[in-house]
Amino acid sequence: MKKYLSSLICGFGAGVLQIVPLLRSFSCCFILPFAAFISLLLNQRATKSKAKITTKDALLFGIVTGLYAALFGSFLEIFITFITKQNDIISTFPELQQMINNFPVSPEIKNEVLNLFQRVREDILANGFSVLYTFSVLVNNFIVNTIFGAVGGLIGAQIINSRMNNTKNEF
Amino acid sequence: MRLQYRLIIFIILLIWCAGIFLEWFLNFEDHLLLGLPFLQKTYSLVCHQEKAKLLFFDHGETLTCARCTGIYLGLLFTSIIVLFSIPKKELHIKFLFIAAAPMISDVILYSLNIYHYSKMIALTTGFLLGSVGFLYLYAGLNNLIRELKS
Repeated sequence: MKKYLSSLICGFGAGVLQIVPLLRSFSCCFILPFAAFISLLLNQRATKSKAKITTKDALLFGIVTGLYAALFGSFLEIFITFITKQNDIISTFPELQQMINNFPVSPEIKNEVLNLFQRVREDILANGFSVLYTFSVLVNNFIVNTIFGAVGGLIGAQIINSRMNNTKNEF
Repeated sequence: MRLQYRLIIFIILLIWCAGIFLEWFLNFEDHLLLGLPFLQKTYSLVCHQEKAKLLFFDHGETLTCARCTGIYLGLLFTSIIVLFSIPKKELHIKFLFIAAAPMISDVILYSLNIYHYSKMIALTTGFLLGSVGFLYLYAGLNNLIRELKS
């Protein structure tokens, strides 16, 4: 647990950043890889290690950072939705309706998708909670954040290692 | 790295990039619309999806902004090249920063209102970073395989 303290801190930061609209638009797809990179950097500072980071360690740090980000991000998103009974689906529903109606697909499919959104919307407005929405948040967060965290770890290790002794990548 | 691994990476990137253009594929398969709510959520995790920065086509738009689309297409582009030709030269990390410089400059310049946001510039600079960035991802995976084998 202590070994991955830096991942916990960076994962928490990334999880929070992912749900803050203004900050999210600035950092875009770099939040998770950057968090993984910072967690590697923090860990190295904390352990005062001068050794090169192994790719295996970097990958693990990236994955753990992604998992923490998914955990905090999902919890915050579900919790905020529960408290405020508002989220992206509610606020963008009219636009979404219009957009779906413009697609060149059969009316039955359009109705099916709109009904699905409508059900989620009604559940959130009434209870602040939707099983489908929660499932979607959890699955997406855990898969995407883990992959992007791993990518950040793999590339981050190369940056840190090159800074340490100016080594070159080998293919 | 063995061809099978390179092929797996390419297929994963191809599926990821195809997902970005899901709305375009609706022209060929209606049922893909059922996946739209879920995929919108997926890509919202890795992109702000600001309406003004999305790429538009016939009956829809991309699920990521022009810059992110460029990055992912760049990754896919190099993964195709790497399928046929394995990079043998050593690559210094400074090339990653050089590739990132145009994109970072673009973000800074348009944020300072020196010029207006251009989807084409965002797409191109993202593509450059993505295509070079893949080489580092590839090197990382290569190192990982080597470490696991030893």
